[in-house]
Amino acid sequence: MPPELVVLSLVVVTALAFDFTNGFHDTGNAMATSIATGALKPKVAVTLSAILNLIGAFLSVEVALTVTNAVVRIQDADGAPRPELIADGGMGLLLIILAGLVGAILWNLLTWLFGLPSSSSHALFGGLIGATMLGLGADGVKWVGDGTKLDGVVGKVILPALLAPAIAIVVASIGTWLVFRITRSVAEGFRDRGFRLGQIGSSSLISLAHGTNDAQKTMGVITLALIATGSWTNLHAVPFWVKLACAIAIALGTYIGGWRIIRTMGKGLVEVCPPQGLAAEASSASVILASSHLGFALSTTHVATGSILGSGLGRRAAVNWSVAGRMVIAWVITLPSAGIAGAVTWFIGHSVGGLLGALLVFAILLALSGVMYVYSRRSHVDHKNVNDDWVEDVTDRQLPVRTH
Amino acid sequence: MNNLWLALEGAWHVLLAGIILGAGLPAIFALGLRSLSYGTGKDADDPLHQPHLIGKIGAVVCFSLVIGAIGLGIAVIVAHGFGVKLSFERFIPGF
Repeated sequence: MPPELVVLSLVVVTALAFDFTNGFHDTGNAMATSIATGALKPKVAVTLSAILNLIGAFLSVEVALTVTNAVVRIQDADGAPRPELIADGGMGLLLIILAGLVGAILWNLLTWLFGLPSSSSHALFGGLIGATMLGLGADGVKWVGDGTKLDGVVGKVILPALLAPAIAIVVASIGTWLVFRITRSVAEGFRDRGFRLGQIGSSSLISLAHGTNDAQKTMGVITLALIATGSWTNLHAVPFWVKLACAIAIALGTYIGGWRIIRTMGKGLVEVCPPQGLAAEASSASVILASSHLGFALSTTHVATGSILGSGLGRRAAVNWSVAGRMVIAWVITLPSAGIAGAVTWFIGHSVGGLLGALLVFAILLALSGVMYVYSRRSHVDHKNVNDDWVEDVTDRQLPVRTH
Repeated sequence: MNNLWLALEGAWHVLLAGIILGAGLPAIFALGLRSLSYGTGKDADDPLHQPHLIGKIGAVVCFSLVIGAIGLGIAVIVAHGFGVKLSFERFIPGF
């Protein structure tokens, strides 16, 4: 087996692993409020979300081949890898992609360990930017685009990240205020039962939208790697097995459920009651769908978190600003941190070189992931204790000990 | 700076659509629930509570609107996936 194909296999496996972390990192975006209000039992919620992500991934037949073009210059406008990068049989490009993915996964796992919702797309872009900067120099990164459309790191990542939570906060606080105002005279039990039913619909819609938006990013990355090694030549389609594998990976990740993040979003920010939950979810769903429809892609994570915060403000509930502050910090440092991780990884892989370098990078990914998993077991959060009362500093793993 | 201008323009459109759909639909849903409890008010918690006929009609109208809008949302996702752009010029002003 030629070394390129071994490295290609590593890239495919790593990309699917990233897709998996993308799934469990984002379960909370759709389901945290429904789980917190009891609209859906935790296990039912993640199962429903997983199925809808699976369906969503198949609905997105739009070719996402040019996904990296938003931030780096490793592809042409039509999706073909730059010829000088694949002159060596594709190894140069494969190492950049592999290092970028490893950086993204490591950052996703670290933020999960701390129970912080952070954008998986930012992690992916950050990792790729870091690896590209070292691999091709700062010119390899598309910082601002050519000015004719929203493009580059500033236009596709930084500005949307600043605007997404603001938009979601406004929409969700108006929605929450309205539903409480309208149902003021309705008996509470009757009202809450009604809104819980509504929540099932709204959180399902977010899950579906997530599957269509996020799975195709990984499909694009894998297809790029396949093209780089000449294993696939069609620039207008994604191989079916790639689509299937990505859909399954994101659905499995969603089903596993990032319980730590679900807990932070559902219990850590504000106390969520059913009318408020529905308003937050409706806000998330409509802002995500409207933004992708209008070509102004926003991160699901930023929108969902903004909506939950806004729903708290809309009913004048106490917002836990220290948790919100930690989240904002995580958002700000996601891109540079994943970038540094991607850059360091690329440097190690490149220094060793060739097949051995790629294998070493993969080994580092396995080792660090393993360490973080072991560390996470110290304070277990799962479907049984996800709704326990919030104890501050739970992200420092001081969960109350369960006695039964 | 062009990026900033383009982003603000995009954000403005998303905000408008978000408020109409993301705040409007929950409000209509809430109206439906209120309609179902019409005439009973705080007694709606009674398990034997039977909604008033007018309340039922109002609720059906509201919930149909919400379900219709969600159906439209799913249609947008699917159509977008298949490379078709649905036009909303007549529903949402300003695009």
